[in-house]
Amino acid sequence: MATKKKILVVDDEESIQLLYKEELEEEGVEVYSAMSGEEALEAFDESPPDLVILDINMPGMDGIEVLRQMKQKRPDIPVILSSAYPEYKQDLGSWASDDYIVKSFNLDELKASVKKHLKK
Amino acid sequence: MPELRRDPIIGRWVIIARERGKRPSDFVIEKDHTKGGFCPLCPGNENTTPAEVLAYGRPPGSPPNSPNWTLRVVPNKFPALVIEGELDKRGEGMYDKMNGIGAHEVIIDTPDHNQTISRMPVEQLAQVFRAYKDRMVDLKKDLRFKYIIVFKNFGRAAGASLEHSHSQLIALPIVPNRIEEEIKGCLRYYDYKERCVFCDIIRQELSQNIRVVAENREFIAICPFAPRSPFEIWVMPKHHQSFYTSLNEDQLLGLADLFGEVMRRLEKALPGAPYNYMLHTAPLREKPMEYYHWHIEIMPKLTMVAGFEWGTGFYINPIPPEEAARFLREIDLSTGKINVHAA
Repeated sequence: MATKKKILVVDDEESIQLLYKEELEEEGVEVYSAMSGEEALEAFDESPPDLVILDINMPGMDGIEVLRQMKQKRPDIPVILSSAYPEYKQDLGSWASDDYIVKSFNLDELKASVKKHLKK
Repeated sequence: MPELRRDPIIGRWVIIARERGKRPSDFVIEKDHTKGGFCPLCPGNENTTPAEVLAYGRPPGSPPNSPNWTLRVVPNKFPALVIEGELDKRGEGMYDKMNGIGAHEVIIDTPDHNQTISRMPVEQLAQVFRAYKDRMVDLKKDLRFKYIIVFKNFGRAAGASLEHSHSQLIALPIVPNRIEEEIKGCLRYYDYKERCVFCDIIRQELSQNIRVVAENREFIAICPFAPRSPFEIWVMPKHHQSFYTSLNEDQLLGLADLFGEVMRRLEKALPGAPYNYMLHTAPLREKPMEYYHWHIEIMPKLTMVAGFEWGTGFYINPIPPEEAARFLREIDLSTGKINVHAA
């Protein structure tokens, strides 16, 4: 039996973590979460995921900084930025990511991006 | 007592609310700490950017999007406007709209991750200004575009979290209001006096010599009479020119020479201060204008724009431009020593 792909969801809002977990696990992947940048980097090192969904605006280390550190360690692991703020797209720090999705309760766009980057 | 000052071009009022004894060194500048980690703009990471539209410096025969460049221009990975499609201008009742067509490009100023505009050799800076011109000339061929704005954000507070030096260019299907306002102001002045308002500003600033920061044969840098922010600086050609793209090779070098000096002075006065600069030039579809003068506005980000500014269009500036210019002018660039203090 093929092992499930693992997705690390990094978001300081528990409701978003739960929403993503519920919706993405229906697609047949395994989801684990981190509440902060620091926690995310620890989880990333301990159990490298197949894909990361990363919030930008978090207390402490922000998502752009987490992204840079993750890509420095493992440029092959796709990272999708998921932020409520479209204006962060103008921050070139986001370029290290593989995609940028503006948060919405309709997860079709996010799911399509996950599918696309897990296939690569 | 605070002073109200009116900008002679667009008529904007500012409040010069001088805080007694406030010196440039009193501004609290939150320094961006240089971060390690992955940088998508560095040589070797060309595959993480969209395919380049311009590159300088590679040996002949090198493939595009390979290392060994000295400057690179790429489309924005997450553009504010997209290049493909038609404008499809339409109305929705009384409201106007069109598709978000435009070009959004990033100029990677240097391959050196730690280089800054204030430390850049003059030839490298001239190359940056040449890239602005080359991209403008190329994008002008696309008749959907009416205006091109070039700008730089430096420092997190000015909108850049990536420290690798870069500028941005956005080609727009409309002339922005801010530019329209400026052009209308210039035209009003010209109708009345039959002279370009910028040329008159330059004449007056050279004769008064109290707001001049630096000058060379072709260019001048001043702190404008009614600045929106402390240490706002305008860089302009001394001789009338409405299009930035009219600059020749010698002028590009002259611009780099003066601009580099201004940025070095600013860096000495306000080490690590975040800033934005914006290049204002005549709209693409116009003929050369006798009444409009291209220029670069440098805006250090030292004060907060809040409710009063948003609500009124007034800006409050705690440092008079005469004091800012004197401070900048009297910095000894060879020693970095500041010879003057605000009174």
